[in-house]
Formats: sequence, C-alpha cells, structure tokens
Amino acid sequence: MHAQSVKNSQTVSITSKLSHIYQAHSYRIAVFSRFLAAILGGYTFTAVFTSLLSITLPLKKSDAVLLSVSLTILIYSCVFIWVFAVKSLIRIWITILLTTAGLALLLSVLKGWL
Amino acid sequence: MKENFFRSMTWMHTWVGLLVCWLLYLIFYAGTLSFFRDEITLWNQPALHHVQTTETRIAQQKSQIIAGFDYLQNTAADSPRWGIYLPSQREPQLNYAYEKPRPEGQRFGGWQDHFIDPQTEQTIEQPRATKGGNFFYRLHFDLHYLDVRTARWIVCFASLFMLVALISGVVIHKRIFKDMFSFRANKGSRSWLDGHNVSSVLALPFHLMITYTGLITLIFMLFPYPAMTAYEDGVRGLFNDVLPTNVRSKSSPESAPLTDIEGVLDHVYTNWPNADLTQISIRDPNKASATITVRASTGTQLRDQTPTLLFNGVDGSLIAKSAAQLSNTEVFYDSMTALHTGRLANPLLRWLYFLCGIAGCVMIASGCIMWAKRIRKRMKKQQTASFGVKLVEALNLATLMGLPLATCAFFIANRLIPINTVERADKEILAFFLTWLAVALFALFKRTKAQWRQLAWLNAVACIAVVLINALTTDGNIISYFQNGQWALFSFDLLCIVFAGLFVVQAKKIPTQIQINTQMQGSRRSAKTKLQEQS
Repeated sequence: MHAQSVKNSQTVSITSKLSHIYQAHSYRIAVFSRFLAAILGGYTFTAVFTSLLSITLPLKKSDAVLLSVSLTILIYSCVFIWVFAVKSLIRIWITILLTTAGLALLLSVLKGWL
Repeated sequence: MKENFFRSMTWMHTWVGLLVCWLLYLIFYAGTLSFFRDEITLWNQPALHHVQTTETRIAQQKSQIIAGFDYLQNTAADSPRWGIYLPSQREPQLNYAYEKPRPEGQRFGGWQDHFIDPQTEQTIEQPRATKGGNFFYRLHFDLHYLDVRTARWIVCFASLFMLVALISGVVIHKRIFKDMFSFRANKGSRSWLDGHNVSSVLALPFHLMITYTGLITLIFMLFPYPAMTAYEDGVRGLFNDVLPTNVRSKSSPESAPLTDIEGVLDHVYTNWPNADLTQISIRDPNKASATITVRASTGTQLRDQTPTLLFNGVDGSLIAKSAAQLSNTEVFYDSMTALHTGRLANPLLRWLYFLCGIAGCVMIASGCIMWAKRIRKRMKKQQTASFGVKLVEALNLATLMGLPLATCAFFIANRLIPINTVERADKEILAFFLTWLAVALFALFKRTKAQWRQLAWLNAVACIAVVLINALTTDGNIISYFQNGQWALFSFDLLCIVFAGLFVVQAKKIPTQIQINTQMQGSRRSAKTKLQEQS
C-alpha cells in the first residue's frame, strides 16, 4: 500500500515533469512560429501586396512603383505588429496564408501569368 | 500574444529590442559619426588641413575643369575613367583623379588622386592613405569583413526590428508627454527607464524618420518585387525610366579624339546659369564610346538626386539631362533619401542631426542596460545568473564601452602608423577591430561595475590621447585650430575633450551608485513594486 503510493507519486511527478518540459518547449515553438509569421509571413505578404499595388495604382508607371516601394516598410511593420498583437497563432497563419494566396492569385490573373 | 494589446506590445518591445540592440547600437553609432563624414576624413588627412575655401569658389570652377582636362589628358590618356572633383564648402580641395590600370580579371583598378589647393593652384603632397569618415559610413550598412549583400540584409532586418520596437514603444508609453520632462537621477533602474524614455521621446520624430528612410535607401534590395512586376527588366528598368541620365553604353575599344571641353561647358552654363558644379566624370576618354557626366550640387534643397547632364564625349552633344521637375511621388521618394543622408544640412542642422543620433545611441544603450538590470533584480539572492543574462551583460559592456575605445584607437592609429606603410588604410581599420575584440574578451572574463569603471577611465584617457597625439604629430593643435578658424578640426578635438569629460563623469558616477544602492535598499523595494505594476 505504502510502496504503491510512492510509485504512484513517482509516476505523477514524471508525467508532470514531462508535461512541464513539453509546455516549456511548446511556448518556445509558439514564439518561434510567431517570429516566423512576422518576419517571413510579413515579408511575403508585403511583397505580393505592393507588387499588386504597383500595377493597380492609377499613376504613371514609375510613380506607381516608387509609391508602392515607399509604402512597403509601413505595411511590413504593421503586419509585424499585428502578428504580435493577435492572441491566436492559428488565426494569424490562416489570415496571412489566405490573404497572400488571394493577392498572389489576383496578381497572376492581372499579369496573365496563369 | 499576451492577455491584452498593451502587454503583447510590452513583450514584443522587450524581446525584439533585445535581439538586435547591439547591432543597432553599432549602426546608430557609426551612422551618427557619418553625418560628419567629410570632416572626419579631413581630420584624418593632415596634408589637407591648410586648404581653405576660396571666396570665388564657383567662379573658378570653369577654369579648374579646363585645367583638369589638360592634366588628365597629359597624365592618364589611357585610363578607363577620369573624375574631376570640384571644391565644396565641406571639402575645400580640388581633385583630379583617374582610375589606375585594372589588374587582370578585376573590374576596378582603384583611384589615383591628385589634390590641388584651389587658392595657390599648387599640387598638395599626396595625403596619407586612410578611409577616414567613409569607414564609419560604410560600417553602418556594410558592417565590414562581411559580404556586402549579406551585411545589408542583416542591417535591413535589424532596422525593421528597430522600427517595430519604436512603434510598440510609443504604444506602451501611456504618459508620453509627461515623461518627456521627467528625469529622476540616482534612482537605480528608475533613472535608466527615465533616461530611456527621455532620449526616445525627445528625438522620437528623428528616430522614426531615420529608421524608415534608412530602410528606404536599401529598399530595392529588400523589396525589388514592385519594380519587377511593373517593368520587364525590373529595378534597372525603373531606374532607366526615372533617371534619364542613367543610360550606360557599352565600352568600345576604338579610339576617337575627345571633344573640346569648352564647348561642353558652354552648353552646361546655358542650361544652368550660376550652377555650383560638384563633379565631372569621364568614362572611356579618347574612345569612341566616351561620355562626360556633369553634376551640380543640390544645395540645401530637400533633394537627393543630383541635377545631371550627360554628354557624348566625342562630338560634345547632349545625350540626356535629369528632370528639372520631379513628380509628386518622385519628390516623396527622393526626399526620404535626402532626409536620411542629411547632405542638405547646413552646419547648425548637421549638429542637430548629430545630437539626435546621440540621443538614439543613448536610447539603445539604456534599453539594453535596463534589460540586464531588471533580470538581475528579479533574481533571488542565492540564484546564479543564467548564461543568457551573462551574455547580455558581456555584450553590453563590450559594445557600449568597446566602440568608443575602438574609435579612439582608429584615430590614434591614423596618426601613429608610418605614412608609407603598405595597405595603410586597412591597418587603421585593423586597429579599430582589434581594440574592440580586446574589450570584448575583457568583458567575457569579467563584467561587474568595476570593469565598467575601468573602461570608462580608459575611454577618457583615449579621448584625451587623440587630441594630444594629434598635437604632437601634426603642425596643428586645438588652440591653433581655434586661432586660424579651422572649425571642422577644432570641433573634432573639442568633441574628443567633451567625451573624455563625459567618461570621467561616468567613471565617477558608478561608485556613487554603489553607495546609493547600499543606502537605499529599503526605498528601492518600493520602487521595484511600482515598476512591476507598470510593466
């Protein structure tokens, strides 16, 4: 009886340790994923969005490109901050992937790449 | 990320800031020095110290150019490139330069300068080889020793993090106006936080501007995609469209006589009466593909693109000229680069740029110090510091105290390395990095308050040494600069003395802080709880 309770408490402590380690790592993974979303996701979104902007802005060609290029940093930093402001990581990834894919599709249609 | 927006932003500000703070410090530090790039280069070349701006500077330009053509035609008729650099307010010497023969397989042979005093029209002895202010200018986006492209990508991302940290810093700052005027000295971390706030908030528009526009200067590397989408040949296509003088014809091996320069100059002065010309570059002189590019100063206009005329070098006809009037978008884009480089700045504005840059350095430095201090405070008595905390502290000491010392070493090396040394300019740079490395090793070894104090003293001594060694090794010194009105050199020496004074103050402050800490253990506890409530 006594021995079993010791064994029980041991298994409990091991599982709690494991879950603790897992939690510690899952936090790290979540942070890493968030930085990835902010840096790479933000970069891709900005690249596609401003490329689309450069051919849709109702300006002279060179002006449209210069204006979209000037806005890239503003857009990138806004996306970056948004990624860190939103709580759900899944929502962030879905939003970034969907919008980027949608914009890329629109861009390809407009440029006749498809 | 966290429970609410405010907390998420605080978390992000702390971590994004910490991740890149040392690199940002280097960028801000070297960038701030670059505002005085020409002045630093001048200080590094004592042979040019006595050249003075002539009163008829602009009126002399035409004859200087014609004489330059004669000189280059007689000395370097076969060179692939010539350059005539006319005296300006900040660089009073005249320079006729040509490219030296290219070694096998290389695309550039290096410039051979020939300096002339515009007042006496005499040749000046070749100044010692030095990178001068250009070293710091390049360092702030090329980072030295690294592949240029890799370095620029790293700098871009560090700057982006900086921008994000700035924006989140504003968000987490609830009492932005009140904190602008509050600095509580000698209160431990509270003072560091106040220092961080004051230096950030007072110069906030500058920090935002310099970071954003800095990214804009490298934007075609970071985001070439809009140009690639709109133009067949990408960024090159855009440049050819926006800059009509950017066209580059293929070099031809056929020889052809160079056109008469006076005809070209007549054309220039009918286009731009009273122009303040800055440089004439000649590509492929005495070849069929020769071109002559004439550039004029933008003066104090908020404009980065220099007015340019491009001539055919054989028949002297005008090939292209830069647009006299920019479109709104071009103005918007162009003015951002102009704001970053600050070439437009008159001396007063240049000092303001410099002071704002220093505020940026203080902001970054106080940020990284505060981080380490807070972690230390949260630790329990018997707890040993983790590797991360030790690393942060070592990097803090190595960067914040190492960079100024390395800079002093660079200037001292400039005066002490013999003039005829092979690869002299590189040896000065080596002195910079070796000193920095030495401080870094020292910081790895130990990094308590005592080390900060020792390095502060060492920095103070080094700053004074720069002034003294300059006085001993050249024919000028801070007093003679003042008497002769050589303001660039005088300010340089004066700044060294001011910084020496600041380092002495720092060294004196550190022990008093230790005393205060022991005296005010009790009151600090309450301050600590207040801080925790805030964050």
